[in-house]
Amino acid sequence: MTAALSRFLRTDWFGPLAIIVAASIGISVFDPSFLSPFNIQILLLAASVNCVIAMSQMVIIAIGQMNLAIGAIGGLSAICFAGLMQVWGFPPVLAAAAGLAIGVAAGLINGYLIARTGISAFIITLASLSIFKGADLGITRAQPFYGIPASVKAFGNTTIIGAVPWLALPAALVVAGMWYLLYRQRIGRYILAVGGNANAAELSGVSIARTVISAHAISGFLAALAGIMLVARLQLGQPSIGDDWLILSFAAPVIGGAALSGGHVSVFGTLFGVVIVAIITQALVIFRIDPYFVEVVLGLLILWAVGVNRLREVKFQNLASTA
Amino acid sequence: MLSLEARGIQKAFPGVLALQDVTLTMRGGSIHALLGENGAGKSTLIKIITGVYRPDDGELRLNGEAVRFEGPRDAIAAGVGVVHQERNLIPRFSVGENILLERLGGGLLRPIDYDAIHAEARRWLEVLELDLDPRTPVSQLNVAKVQLVEIAKALSLRSRVLLLDEPTASLTPQEAEVLFRLLRKLRDEGASLLFVSHKLEEVQQICDEVTVLRDGRNACPSRPMAGLGRQDLVRLMIGRNEQIPDWAPSDHSHAETMLALKNVSTVLGHAKIDLTVRQGEIVGLYGLVGAGRTELAKCILGLYPLTVGEIEIAGRPERIASVADAIHRCGIGYISEDRKQEGLILAHTVLENAGITVWRKLAGRFGLLRDEAVRAHVSPVIAQLEVRTPSLAQIVGNLSGGNQQKISVAKWLAAGVRILIVDEPSVGIDIKTKAYIHELLRHLADQGTAILLITSDMPEMITVADRIVVMDDYRIKGELENSRRYSEMSEGIMALIHARDAA
Repeated sequence: MTAALSRFLRTDWFGPLAIIVAASIGISVFDPSFLSPFNIQILLLAASVNCVIAMSQMVIIAIGQMNLAIGAIGGLSAICFAGLMQVWGFPPVLAAAAGLAIGVAAGLINGYLIARTGISAFIITLASLSIFKGADLGITRAQPFYGIPASVKAFGNTTIIGAVPWLALPAALVVAGMWYLLYRQRIGRYILAVGGNANAAELSGVSIARTVISAHAISGFLAALAGIMLVARLQLGQPSIGDDWLILSFAAPVIGGAALSGGHVSVFGTLFGVVIVAIITQALVIFRIDPYFVEVVLGLLILWAVGVNRLREVKFQNLASTA
Repeated sequence: MLSLEARGIQKAFPGVLALQDVTLTMRGGSIHALLGENGAGKSTLIKIITGVYRPDDGELRLNGEAVRFEGPRDAIAAGVGVVHQERNLIPRFSVGENILLERLGGGLLRPIDYDAIHAEARRWLEVLELDLDPRTPVSQLNVAKVQLVEIAKALSLRSRVLLLDEPTASLTPQEAEVLFRLLRKLRDEGASLLFVSHKLEEVQQICDEVTVLRDGRNACPSRPMAGLGRQDLVRLMIGRNEQIPDWAPSDHSHAETMLALKNVSTVLGHAKIDLTVRQGEIVGLYGLVGAGRTELAKCILGLYPLTVGEIEIAGRPERIASVADAIHRCGIGYISEDRKQEGLILAHTVLENAGITVWRKLAGRFGLLRDEAVRAHVSPVIAQLEVRTPSLAQIVGNLSGGNQQKISVAKWLAAGVRILIVDEPSVGIDIKTKAYIHELLRHLADQGTAILLITSDMPEMITVADRIVVMDDYRIKGELENSRRYSEMSEGIMALIHARDAA
């Protein structure tokens, strides 16, 4: 019993989950409407899109890199999705497929440049952020697409059952898919291996280039998916989609115990990290704190989470050296 | 029978010609020794044979056919396996997954079968008589186990050509014996093995053939081991006989104790460490890789806290809270084993590197630091050490390894430290500079510096140290007065390390 308990305590997701439970109880004591079906639905809506955004960054953190361009990729895919439906009358499924393909292509370009040139991901994605964002603004002249079909609007704003919105469905599939990918698929293991010790992975015959390119393609796909989900939720193809993703995309994986040096991420930890961010945003509204302070809180949260991870890492090293 | 031949191999790195017209012939059914000093080019040759590097010139022939490896994958596919010198496992993955990393199997709809992987891995651990659960994460293993897991990984490829770069560096003699039995078995089954080790006793014990490299060239072509004695091998490796300088043993027992550790335990896992270094004395701290010597040095420097016990500097108990504290208040200098990572700032000039320790002292009003002040302080030291550099403005990264090492000594001389901790000073340094560094250490000690010398190079230890302290598994196993008689000392040291198993 104690052994099982201590194993739980050591997992990455236990801490964030405990925070979620404690915060939910604490906030609902002040304001019982926090746990009302309506509020839960709003929480789930925010968490669904944010969760896909966070996974898009998490897969890059897993290989020990960072992707500054996820917001730009998501924005570009989003306006392509909306534009294809409004201007050329594409059916939503086809337009979504095209949007996702653009995301994958953008990720492939990032990955290819990083793998072939050896220039750091930070620089490459900083440059491609500017390129993708510029393309987005150039295509739209910074004007939104309004002609979104009713079916798409409904997908983004109705519920399947009770308080569970339709948008939670793709998010749940992404969480399950990422878990399967990282823990039960060869490419996922290679992503973590390259992040953990790229040299060792290469000497074992793992192709670093192919792994890096795959990770970026997956990241691009998820960023595009998040962009498309946001079009459905906002009911318009807003060119500014993606502009505010960056901080959240790092905050959630880090709260979930990811090592920014690579090689270690937690899918469920990241999911709970997203929920914590959603709860905090809600709590600020409930306690009537200026929503502009959300960013301040997010920043503090990242610092706190990095500190906790660092502490765990030091403990982990000491454990290893005495074993 | 599988044979592998490297012919006329040439390889240059920026600024160094690492290999020049090197030839190596490995036959099936034989264990081939590759010998040479640090920096002679052994690891480079191994990396060329296993596809990590591509040769600039020359060719590899496998069973008489020319082959070209574009990467490690190609070499693995051709049946060439390797245990590299540096650690090459993924820390957070299990032992089993590491062993079978490139053969995880599974497909899009077929998840990776970890039970099968761990069962397969267990077989290879059993071959090595290693009682270890393949589900254990590698990060929880000690260095010796990690090394054995790497060997298991190479074996699991069923390579017909297997290269082992210092596989015994962190193994106990018993563990090494198990490995040797296995290597002989593989040889008898027709495999072709290459064995690199600094321990000549081991090499003579298990190898049938030998190739020696010296300064990136063949000091001898591949030839049978029979008829070669230890002295012959040494002569081939260093180009002359092994010389142990005839320094008169000096008695330091009445000199002032400069550094004393009393019953020290640390957060890194050291326990009950007692150690003294007197003025003018060189104390050698010997141990296998992973014994905790460098870690102890870092604790003395204040990088990691003590949990029990105390450190006395010149008879006064001191709490050393940081490296700055160690340098400026206690006068302790540290010459890192990892000169490129921890010792020098390669992109900076000689002046900046050698002067970094005195900036604080020389900084004038408002913290302004004038180059002339630093130059005046550093120049004599650079001259004293005979550093070959065109000027003080030279970038350190462009100097040879030996001269870089001199700069890392120079910065402590400039700082005027009383206690110097020297960690593996001659790794990657040619013989001449090595002898020079040894004389330098002796000279510094004779002038009153207390020196703690960390090295895994037994001849170096026996050449330089006055007293040898043996460490194993983060504990002191005992100490010996150095008689400078090689066989007597090496037996004494190994006996102390062995003592673990009796205890």
